[in-house]
Formats: sequence, C-alpha cells, structure tokens
Amino acid sequence: MRHLWRQALRWEAGLTVLGLILLAYMSLASSDFFTSFTLQSLALNSTVIGFLALGVAPVIISGDIDISIAAMLGLCTIVLGEVWQAGVNIWLAALASVALGCVLGLLNGIFVVLLDLPSLAITLGSMGAYTGIAFLILGGSAITGFPNSLVTLASGLAGNAVPWSTLILLAVAAVLAFVLHRTTVGRVVFAIGSNKQASRFSGLAVVRTKLLVFVISGLMSGIAAIFYAGYFNTAQGGLGAEDLLPAITVVILGGVSAYGGTGTLPGVVLALFVLGVLQTGLGVLGFSGQEQTIAVGLTLILALAVSAGSRVLRARFTAAAARSPA
Amino acid sequence: MSALRQRIDSVLASFARAPELGLVSILVVLSIYAAVALPAFRTTSNADQILSNSTIIAILALAETLVLLTRQIDLSVGATLGLCAYIVGSALGHVGGDPPLAILMALGLGGVLGLGNALLVDLVRMPAIIATLATLSIYGGLQVVVTNGSQLYAYQLPHWLTTLYATNWGPLPAFACVALVLVVILTVCVQMLRWGRDLYAMGSNPEAAAVTGLPVRRRTYEAFIACGALSGFAGLLYAAQYGNVDATAGNGIELTAIAAAVIGGVSLFGGSGTPAGAALGALLLIEIENILAIEKISIFAQQLLQGLAIVASVAVYALVRRYAQRLGARRRRLQGAGPLPTATIEPAEAHP
Repeated sequence: MRHLWRQALRWEAGLTVLGLILLAYMSLASSDFFTSFTLQSLALNSTVIGFLALGVAPVIISGDIDISIAAMLGLCTIVLGEVWQAGVNIWLAALASVALGCVLGLLNGIFVVLLDLPSLAITLGSMGAYTGIAFLILGGSAITGFPNSLVTLASGLAGNAVPWSTLILLAVAAVLAFVLHRTTVGRVVFAIGSNKQASRFSGLAVVRTKLLVFVISGLMSGIAAIFYAGYFNTAQGGLGAEDLLPAITVVILGGVSAYGGTGTLPGVVLALFVLGVLQTGLGVLGFSGQEQTIAVGLTLILALAVSAGSRVLRARFTAAAARSPA
Repeated sequence: MSALRQRIDSVLASFARAPELGLVSILVVLSIYAAVALPAFRTTSNADQILSNSTIIAILALAETLVLLTRQIDLSVGATLGLCAYIVGSALGHVGGDPPLAILMALGLGGVLGLGNALLVDLVRMPAIIATLATLSIYGGLQVVVTNGSQLYAYQLPHWLTTLYATNWGPLPAFACVALVLVVILTVCVQMLRWGRDLYAMGSNPEAAAVTGLPVRRRTYEAFIACGALSGFAGLLYAAQYGNVDATAGNGIELTAIAAAVIGGVSLFGGSGTPAGAALGALLLIEIENILAIEKISIFAQQLLQGLAIVASVAVYALVRRYAQRLGARRRRLQGAGPLPTATIEPAEAHP
C-alpha cells in the first residue's frame, strides 16, 4: 500500500514538474502566453476533454475501455439542442442530456458486463451507432444560438477571473476522487482492474460495479455535452469526435495503467493541465491544429514509454537488490 | 423434440466452426431478395459496382484480420491508407511509374507505418488499442501536413492507375480480381502455412504460445507490418478508384474495415476467423449499403447500421461459440461417464 502511494506520488510529482517547465517555457517563448486571456481560454478549452477523461478513467482503471465517449458526447449535445428547440426549459434539456448519457453508458455496460463481451468491440460498435443516430436526428443541419444562461455557465468567469466551468470540473473531480479512492465501491473498481477473476471469487460485486463504471462514463459525457453546447454554441452531427484521443491521452498521461488496476484521479487532473498547457502553448506559438494533434499523439506515446521504461528499471533494481546479499 | 434439438445444436456447432457458410447463405438470400424486389439491383453493372466497391474495404479487413488473429488491433489502417494514397500518388505523378514500382512503394510505405505500430506495441509495451489510436492521430496529422491544403487530382496520376477501376479482367472487374488474389494468398499463408498457425496460436493463448517457444515477438512485428503494407496497397487502390486524394482520404474507414472483419467471424479476442470470412463480411456490408442507396435510405443510417452490425455480430458469434463449447464439454463428459440411454454420441463429432 505504501509502495503504491510512493509510486503514485512520484508520477504526479513528475507531472507537476513537467507542467511547470512547459508553463515556464511557453511564457518565455511568447509574451502572449502568460496572460489571463490565454490562461482562461486554456481552462475553457480543457473543460469538455476533462469531463470525458474523468468519465473514462474509472473504466480504464477497472481494466476495460470505452471508446464511445466522444460519440456519447455528440449524441447528448444534439439531443440537448433538439429538446431545447422543442421549447423545453434549457436546464431541463441539460438534465435530459445527463440522463441520456447515463442510459447510453448503461447500454454499453449491459452488453459488456451482462453478456460478457469485449468492451473494445462493443464500444467501437456503439461509437458508430451513437454517431449514426446523432446524424439521423439532425441530418446535415446544425443547432446554434443556445440561450445566454447556458453560454454563461460554460464560458463565463467567476469573479472575472476563473471560469465557472473549471470550478465545476474541479468539484466533480473531487467528488469522483472521493468515491474512487475513499469508498468501498472505489476499492472494488481497483480490485477488478487488478484481477477480475480473483475479485469474482472473493465475492465482490463485479457485475454491479462494472455497470456503474460504464454509467459514470456515460454520465460524464452527458455533463460534457452541456459545456460543449454552451462553449461552442453549436451542435452538429459528428461533433466531438476529435476529443476522443485527447481524453484517453489525459487518462494515460495521468498515470492510469492502460491495463487497469492503478491510477489516481488527481493525476488525471494534473495531466489535463499539462496537456492544456502544451496544446494552448503550441497554438500561441503558431502551430496548426493538426500539428497540435500530432503533439498529443506523441505525448501519449512518450507517457507510455516513460512508464514502461521506469517499470523495467524498477524491476531490474529490485532483482539486483534481491541478488546482492543484504 | 430431442431430434430437433440435436439438429439445431449441430447447425450451431458447424456455424461456430465455419461462419463463412452462414455468411454466404445470408449473402445469397439477400441478393435473391434484392434482385426480385429492386430492378436497379439486377443489372450487371450494379453487380460489378458492388464487387469493385467492396475491394478496398475487403483488403483493409484482410489486413486487420492478420492483427486481430494475434489478439491485437490496428486502428491506424485508415490513416495509413490515406497517407499512402497521397504520398504514393504524388510520387507517381512526379516520376511516372509502372505498376510494379507503384505496388512496391505502397507496400513499402505502408509496411514502415505498420512497423511503427509494432515498435510501440512490442518495445514500448503499449496496448495495441492505445498505440494505434496514437498513430491514427499522428499518421492522420502527417497526412494533413503533407497535403498542406492541396489535393491530388486524377490527371496527376498515371493513366494505367486511373483507368484500373473501370477495367474488366475477363468476366470480373479488375478490383475484384485483385481482392480475390489477395484472399487466396492470405488464406494459404494464414491457414496452411506454419506462419499463420503461429498467429492463431498467439491469439488463442499468448502465454502458451510464448512458453511453447513460438517466435511471438517476430510474429507480432510481421503481423503489424503486413497489416500496414496491405493498408498501403489499399491506399494505392483508393487513389485509383477516386482519382482524388486530399487530407481527409481514409478518415474513419477503419471502423468499416473492423466491422467487416468482425461480421466475417474474426474474433476480437484473437485466435479465430479466416481471411475469406473477413472479405465476405466486407462484401455483405457493401451490398447492404448498395441496397440502402437504391432504396434511397439516408446515408446517415449507414453508420448506425455498421455500429449495430458490430455489436450484433460480436454478440451472436460469442454466444454461439460459448454454446458450442458447452455442448462439446457436455458430450465429452457424457462420453467419459459411459453410454447413457438418451444420448447418442458420435465420436467423430465429439473430437473434431
């Protein structure tokens, strides 16, 4: 247990240092970077990806994957817009989006858990299905002009300094972190990710917990949809597809093992910050969106290379320590 | 009653062993229905079009099959296709080039991109899904950077390439012949040669394959490189078919390719499925697309249909396989316990 904490702390300390170095570098490289405007847009741009990452992190920790998060985001945003355009109060529409997210996540969970099918295949399929439904609902058109209250929530500033959306994201992250790291349910998620067979034989509620994890993933996509609609103020078929890679990158960069069983939510939040600084910084330095995407892909590879390298080194040191007479 | 039950059991068991038969019967039934109901479906040119249009998807599905058999996955096949289509197409446009040179370039460039995936999976020990998600964005990003906002047009490509799509070799379109040849080659490689048996062994049980002394790492490299090379080759055909390659060429086509392979009976758990099945899966998908288009059903419905097809076929294959396994286990148990009056056991079936 103490070993686990040490390892987690080391990864997060490394991330913090990396983030600060990037922050310092970008600030020196461009005088436009360390301004309240740039930092605020950094935070605003990270909100949707942040919610998606928070949602998929528990799934990955439990040893599965959900690649339909971006498709759920798209479908929820469009349903939110349609419900609102039908004359429903915008907050009820937002609630509908959250509820729909839960249902979509539950559908994934039912196929993966109850029928015991591979989550990769099922969420690959549901990714196509959800995107297809979104296109069918909207055709080729777009919904724009969301009401001011929603726009203020998603892009307004609290006290003219910090975006509301960032405060809400951090609050949600804190709640999820509490559930994941401080409650029995959370321990079960980690246990399933470490060893599913053993968890089942120990009588843990594997089925219920796995369903919950997929529902959380859908729920977070539903919440992300509210901020997507408010921030970009538009909804059209295929939206959000480009957010899948950054969300998963954030989770892996945050120290969550791609094979399940380890990881922390504070690490995920830190990684969100690091990736935000990197992307916004590259944007300020004049790199195109595609070049930023390449950078995100390379960051993901680098994060995994470092974690694999440190694992190998640690194994070697442990072996050497065991060989040498104490 | 029990005779009927046994009949159903044996049908399910043979479906679990060879899903191609089931696919062929679905294809035949669907074609007969469409030919009777839709006059526009009946024409020879429509049949040629279905065959030609399924070729690129079929080749990508074949590529994906090699990787899926080893219990890995490659999400970057679409980006590899797009990047190869543009780079090889422009190179051909600049220096001209015969078919052999073009094929070599496409296979080579695709192979290098596949090697990149293999390195990440083997050296960096990334799960293939995440490694190839990263390379999907990198290769796709490179495609945008390389194209730099411009496009490749048909007049910039060699004549033999742009006319290939409309060419017939004998009774079949050239594209379909190419796909057929590849299916035969891969069937031989995968199902008859030891190389392919290694892929199945790795996918069925990776630990056992390593312990038995199979060259697991080498086969992983070979599978990913072959997958990349075939995707690159599909890129060349993409340039031939559309004559127009831009930064979005091949975007999202990996989903269709994986759908085709999965519908064709290739398991995402690795270790089962055949190249012929994957190609038939591609044919089935394109035929359905063709029928939907004739019936004027929204193109937006097609993505939904693909997604549902993946979920449904994964579920059906898994459930049938599980049922067949339980059946086999029960038969073996019964055999071990000695003859029971109600069970008629045929040893040949119990040990296929």
